[in-house]
Amino acid sequence: MASARTRRGVLSGTVAVILVLVIIIASGGVLSGIKAAGRAVVAPFAWVLTEVTRPIGNAFAGAFNYSDVVAQNRQLRAELGRAQMQGNESSAMLQQLEEVTTLQNLPFVGSIRVVTAQVTTNSPTNFSASFTIARGTDDGLLAGMPVVGNGGLIGRVVAVSAHSATVLMITDATAITGATFGNGHTDVLINGRGVDENVVATAVPLSSPITPGTVFTTSGLSGGLYPPGIPVATVQTVLLTPGASTYDFSLTPTADLHHLGYVDVMLWEPGT
Amino acid sequence: MTRGLVALALCTVMLVAVQITIISPLRIAGVVVMVVWLWPVSLALTGRTVVSVGAGFVTGLLFDTHSLTPFGLTGVVGVLLALAAAQLGREGVGDLDAAAWWVTPALAAAAGFAAPLIFVILGFLTGHTTLWRGNLGVMMVVNAVAFFVLARPLTRLAQRVAESGGWSRT
Repeated sequence: MASARTRRGVLSGTVAVILVLVIIIASGGVLSGIKAAGRAVVAPFAWVLTEVTRPIGNAFAGAFNYSDVVAQNRQLRAELGRAQMQGNESSAMLQQLEEVTTLQNLPFVGSIRVVTAQVTTNSPTNFSASFTIARGTDDGLLAGMPVVGNGGLIGRVVAVSAHSATVLMITDATAITGATFGNGHTDVLINGRGVDENVVATAVPLSSPITPGTVFTTSGLSGGLYPPGIPVATVQTVLLTPGASTYDFSLTPTADLHHLGYVDVMLWEPGT
Repeated sequence: MTRGLVALALCTVMLVAVQITIISPLRIAGVVVMVVWLWPVSLALTGRTVVSVGAGFVTGLLFDTHSLTPFGLTGVVGVLLALAAAQLGREGVGDLDAAAWWVTPALAAAAGFAAPLIFVILGFLTGHTTLWRGNLGVMMVVNAVAFFVLARPLTRLAQRVAESGGWSRT
């Protein structure tokens, strides 16, 4: 009896080990394999919980916030109308910009194909500014691709599987974005400060004409992580230390990073 | 023993799923309450050191598979919290039925207060120097309050799981 139980235990253990090894090999690396295995273990439970709790949450939200939803709908319609008008006005300017950037042998942001993806989960921890989207390698996504939406640069893809990808936001404490402003002669590095915090740019020469409201866009320097021309952040406060020869800036991301429903992944690889 | 292990594994995986799908999106003052750290503390307060340390490590590891933070760091924090709480749990301090009602929540709150700080310090020691950015003080306070509130139900569940496994206080 005991030996039969032992055999069953050994058999179950062997099957589990083989499954883990298959996942590790299929996902192309030990660490990513372990992560994939861990996600596979939790996924069915998470799916059941989501399916059970979503209708309850929606019912409560619908019951208590109906008037807000109607008001938001009206506001969104008005904003959509304004955006359509601005889009029509700017199409001519975009054409001119495309011609100029092509002349300079730079990739034009407006001509890069995008894949729209739904945001599935936000960062589960306090220590990284990231989220997961429901698109992966099957949709043409690769690690390093820029993610835009809600008015500007959001971040870049850092991990990707067949049907999902993880995006590191520009506000993450480890994120660094090469940017420029004005006539494009001054390049700065924009650093993230953590979840829900503003981003900062340090050591900008005093000769650079910057005022609150100035928009920083990606510089697109050779070997950079992003193509040029994507709005990154606007200057919120200028920090000038007496006697210093440089400015520091606190910047607000141009993209609304608090309400991410759908984002666009640019099918552009760093170095191209 | 087997029934206890199955119950422990199910509760651990379920708790990680609850953390990721329900608790993490539900930020309080912009802070995520880390229930994955409360689970090993609850188990440890029942006096089962080995079980709580193992559960703390596995819970943290499973959570880390969904996070971009250094892999394994959440698990190590879980292990340290479990070891500290088990010192008290073995002596019966924090026992739900024997001690005053507030003792278990107070111990859990202390763990919740210390956990983010331990995470940041361990991260710093392992070369991840950017983890301290963000509002660490708010994280510590929010987690302490949440652990205080959630300690009794979660420790009751941990007690049931420990009893179903027939594990003695070690």
